[in-house]
Amino acid sequence: MVAMIKKNKTGSFTSKLLGWRMWIQAAFLMVWLDPAGLRMHTMCSPVFHCYACPLATFGCPIGIIAQFGALHVFPFIAVGLLIAVGALFGTLICGWICPFGFLQDLAAKVPTPKFDLPKVTGYLRYVMLIVTVLAIPYLFGEEHPLFICRVCPAGALEAAVPSMVSQAIAGETIIWPSVLKLTILVLFLIAIFFIRRPWCRMLCPLGAIFSLFNRVSAFFLRFDADKCTHCERCHKLCEYGIEPEKTPNDLRCIRCLECTNCSPDALNLGSIFERAQSKNDNSCDK
Amino acid sequence: MINKNKKSLIFGLLVLFGAALLAYGAFFHSTTVSARQDGQPVMLAKSEPALIKEASVSGVKRDESGKIKQTYEVGEKAPEACST
Repeated sequence: MVAMIKKNKTGSFTSKLLGWRMWIQAAFLMVWLDPAGLRMHTMCSPVFHCYACPLATFGCPIGIIAQFGALHVFPFIAVGLLIAVGALFGTLICGWICPFGFLQDLAAKVPTPKFDLPKVTGYLRYVMLIVTVLAIPYLFGEEHPLFICRVCPAGALEAAVPSMVSQAIAGETIIWPSVLKLTILVLFLIAIFFIRRPWCRMLCPLGAIFSLFNRVSAFFLRFDADKCTHCERCHKLCEYGIEPEKTPNDLRCIRCLECTNCSPDALNLGSIFERAQSKNDNSCDK
Repeated sequence: MINKNKKSLIFGLLVLFGAALLAYGAFFHSTTVSARQDGQPVMLAKSEPALIKEASVSGVKRDESGKIKQTYEVGEKAPEACST
């Protein structure tokens, strides 16, 4: 009985937290957008935010991994940070604090028809990670046109566009980014209004890294098979085409936790720090 | 299927491993960078945080011989933004 009450409390906490998700994402902008002008570019953040942006507190871990790859130096800080943060939170980072994810969430609020993506597109993120972040930088250096920073829409939007605007205001010659980068930016800006989180779901190399930790991260999506009524409401609640009761720790899940709104309370945010609550808990962490 | 004990163990090991890499990079790891000072070549040992800062503004590049070179002279102002 005590365990039941505790579980309901956890469930209601997740539901309460869910209403604050956008506000939490907005609040974290104060960390990433450098309001105090600290420019702490000697350190990486665990989110996707270009360090060439005039408003960037920390370095982008993906950019640093790629740049270090081009130098043939192992990026201990960036890799260590991603392993530690990934082990703690998994893709909760994507759903709750990433500024680039937040931008796409805001665009998704515009009432336009939304299209779903085939499951297989989720694997493109790993191709992106291996090819543009690891292989190309190491083999060809940063001059290669497919080096991640040269095709990254975050870099184009957060760094190239502000830079071009400031050059135009100052009356200087505008330095245009490559045609490929501009094309990707335009496609991205169109896609965010018709597909939910297109970058995160199809191409984000950082999301690809964090998703690998979903099965072992300290915070995870717990499915209670005893409470599930197989109503499949969670399928409708999930905006990313995942069936949470079958694969609660799916690689494509960004941990928005919308599925925890299912009425039988069968899905909840769990953590390894909680004491064991029932015999079934262990068996449900698929 | 991973039970809670196994999950806790994997989590603990990953956090320790990540923290160890992070600490090593932040406090112990350095890279030799060749630069020029008053036209003369000099070798500089850059800590990893310093190298992150340099890499974020394209202040260092690897040349064909495999050496890491600073793109500006010692004492000069570093580039303001990444070249990509």
